[in-house]
Amino acid sequence: MSDVQLSVDGLTVAYDRPSQQPNTVVWRASINLRAGQIHGLAGESGCGKSTFALAAIGYRDRGAIITEGSSRLDDLELLGMPARDLSRIWGRRVAYVGQSASTSLNPALNVGLQLGELLSLYLGLRGEKSRRRQAELLDEVGIPDPSAALHRYPHQFSGGQQQRIAIAMALCGDPGVIILDEPTTGLDVTTQARITAMLKDKLAGSSAATLYVSHDLAFLSTVTSRLAVMYAGEIVEEGPTQTVLQGPRHPYTGALLAAVPSAVDGRQVVGLPGRPPLSVVKDACSFAPRCPLSVERCRSSHPVLENANEHSQVRCFRWPEFRHRSVAATPRQEAVRTELASPVLAVRDLVCVYSQARRPAISGVSFDLAEAETIAIVGESGSGKSTLLRCIAGVLSPADGSVLFKGESMPPRAGDRPRTLLSAIQLVFQNPESSLNPRHSVADIIRRPIRLFRPDVSRSQEDLEIRELIEAVRLPAAMLHRYPNELSGGQKQRVALARAFAGKPDLLLCDEVTSALDVSVQASVLELLTESTQQTKTAVVFVSHDLAVVRTIAHRTLVMRDGSVVEEGNTDQLFAAPTAAYTRELLSAIPTVKPDAEAHATPA
Amino acid sequence: MSTTQAELDLVSVAEEPGYQRPISLFRAVMRTAEGRIGLGLAVFMLLLISVGRLAAPFSPTAINVGPPIAGPSMAHLLGTDDLGRDVLSRFLYGGDTVLLVPLAAVTLALVIGGFLGLLAAYRGGWVDRLVARVFDVFLVIPALLLALVLVAGLGTSVVVIVLTVTVVYVPRLGRIVRGAAGRIAVQDFIVAAELRGESSRWVVVREILPNVAGPVLSAYALYVTYGIIFVVTLSYLGLGAQPPSSDWGLMVSDSQAFISFNPWATVAPALGIAAMSVAFTLVADAANRQLARGNDRVGTGV
Repeated sequence: MSDVQLSVDGLTVAYDRPSQQPNTVVWRASINLRAGQIHGLAGESGCGKSTFALAAIGYRDRGAIITEGSSRLDDLELLGMPARDLSRIWGRRVAYVGQSASTSLNPALNVGLQLGELLSLYLGLRGEKSRRRQAELLDEVGIPDPSAALHRYPHQFSGGQQQRIAIAMALCGDPGVIILDEPTTGLDVTTQARITAMLKDKLAGSSAATLYVSHDLAFLSTVTSRLAVMYAGEIVEEGPTQTVLQGPRHPYTGALLAAVPSAVDGRQVVGLPGRPPLSVVKDACSFAPRCPLSVERCRSSHPVLENANEHSQVRCFRWPEFRHRSVAATPRQEAVRTELASPVLAVRDLVCVYSQARRPAISGVSFDLAEAETIAIVGESGSGKSTLLRCIAGVLSPADGSVLFKGESMPPRAGDRPRTLLSAIQLVFQNPESSLNPRHSVADIIRRPIRLFRPDVSRSQEDLEIRELIEAVRLPAAMLHRYPNELSGGQKQRVALARAFAGKPDLLLCDEVTSALDVSVQASVLELLTESTQQTKTAVVFVSHDLAVVRTIAHRTLVMRDGSVVEEGNTDQLFAAPTAAYTRELLSAIPTVKPDAEAHATPA
Repeated sequence: MSTTQAELDLVSVAEEPGYQRPISLFRAVMRTAEGRIGLGLAVFMLLLISVGRLAAPFSPTAINVGPPIAGPSMAHLLGTDDLGRDVLSRFLYGGDTVLLVPLAAVTLALVIGGFLGLLAAYRGGWVDRLVARVFDVFLVIPALLLALVLVAGLGTSVVVIVLTVTVVYVPRLGRIVRGAAGRIAVQDFIVAAELRGESSRWVVVREILPNVAGPVLSAYALYVTYGIIFVVTLSYLGLGAQPPSSDWGLMVSDSQAFISFNPWATVAPALGIAAMSVAFTLVADAANRQLARGNDRVGTGV
């Protein structure tokens, strides 16, 4: 077709391994990017989507070899092109924005200089003309007061604005092909929504062809018109976005969808056990070990990508039999709010001020929490939700107000609290990379709180207790001898949960515990969390910026902004009928896979 | 979740192709050619300065065992010096102080500087600022000047030299430990330890120390090299070892007057010093390179 800007055909990428066969990570993947279209590429981490996206524009990672395939930009073959020629194409005709694009900004130069350099390189613009274009570019990506912003340095912008500037830099050569690799991951919902709206606005009308790589199906459903799902280095399903998401034909797409939390109906998420294989499986279906539908044939021969209809393709032997059932909105087990006169946790008019800060990080927050109840605290970054959690945990001392645990006030600092109190309140951190000591084995990490908090467990019983805890978070006992950097992100977060459960807490404080995880892994960690806390009747304070996750697990929700409570209420009621304008704004920013056929984008 | 979860999750990163378990510092060093050469040279030099003296034909301080200032001969393989002492014997005896004094001093500096650096990094706030400023003050004083003043005031005993070198290196090593520990002290597992009610000693010794030991040990090896050169410089200037000691630094300085008659009296100790510093530098470099490549994943077992 004439409007195809970039045509990738049969691309195969392998990584060189010393004294072994190269490890194939992308196998015969094809994609056509058309002008004015945003094409999505979805899949879990480690499925090869970033490697594919980079290889498609001729970029090879260290040690990567492109063994087969072609990638044509109009009539130019990008694969095998000498680096010197490629560097003339990158930036001018093909642009790439990565996940941490803000690190591509030079902190020592102001934004105008950096844009000016590219404009002069790509378009030969200099002087007044260049300055005008610089301001225009910043304006287009929604940076307020663009002419003044040109004189500012990257660190003077917020994370979201830095990402917009990086996008402006990618767009300044007016490229025909744009590759966006998770450019909004890590930003909060409202910022994400703003950047997405800007991108849609800017790209849909232009002649540029865009490939949008993301693990977030809900998000892709709002911006893309076509969607490819990648698994173990192969495209397993491809078609118009709405068709793929409303009637997935491949069991993997179905499983990914079931793992996506929904802010609309608050249904339970279903985790997808296991992880994708690390290299391409050439003699069987790569998804067979995790597939509920797999039969003998799936394990002995490799399915091809076949046409399901004229628009869609699927790689599965059993796709005609596969019917995706959206998981029913199973109602949460409501916490029995026995006597609110004696809540587990009572926060009263809490105020916390950081030294040198102009306004308090939290001012006058109050709420109650009953046994076995989960309360979610939501808000954008900087709303004070993590600070609140740290005040309760005793990491920070509040300037005013009180925190009552089981009706009694506690010393503000954890260091002054008695051991029984320390074990009763456990904090689980956002980033398991940082919360587990890389020099301690998994067994030692879990052993320590047992030794400190469980006088009932003698030394000889410790190993048994550790084994029970690790099995409770569904990790095999073999993991006990491993060190944290030998585990995946989801496994690490499970270890962190096991450590928190070791002291048999009455109150679990969760600080964005799933935001560093993949959707499928997030789902299984959420399942685990709900299950364990309901079993042990543990009260949970769940801080998150992800409203869909909150809808899935919290009984009550508290919305925070600039350190104060905007709204508080029963989660279902609050999501159905928010009273505060800010809550409505937050809710409208959530990308959601529409449960019914409400065409969001026109199929191409 | 189904029972398959456990089976599927059995595959951890450790089974991935290309994954390398953290390796000990020793194996990290042995992995590169430079490391092997450095370690081999270091072992050779250690043997030379410790048991080499058993092969010495004469006492290192005995004068007139041969004609003064003579070139190499069968009786005196490296010739003799201006007092008729055997250069080979002096060389075989004179290496120990060249290594031991800096080794003792730099080790002491690591203990003191390491303690201060860890304290500063963990406590933060004014403690950190105070320690950092004190380090800065000592760092701006030229090392040689500081040594001159201390030796002039306190005399030239071995103890004074060791303490002088220690004072010079405390802020240098302390700064490295503070930097490495500072990155660890802000990690969440430190907060987690505090929330468990761990003592400061536990946090520093069990949580922080294992994470900084790798990079700090390779810095230590490098600073031993600097220490060797510094101590030799002091001896050369007459501030360190005193006659009739056969310290290599002193030998170089003493033999300069007759270098055209018996160059070996200068060259042998100079080569010895060079070999020793090169050996330590190579080892430190190899360790450092492995640390950088392995993303600080090199273990601390030596």
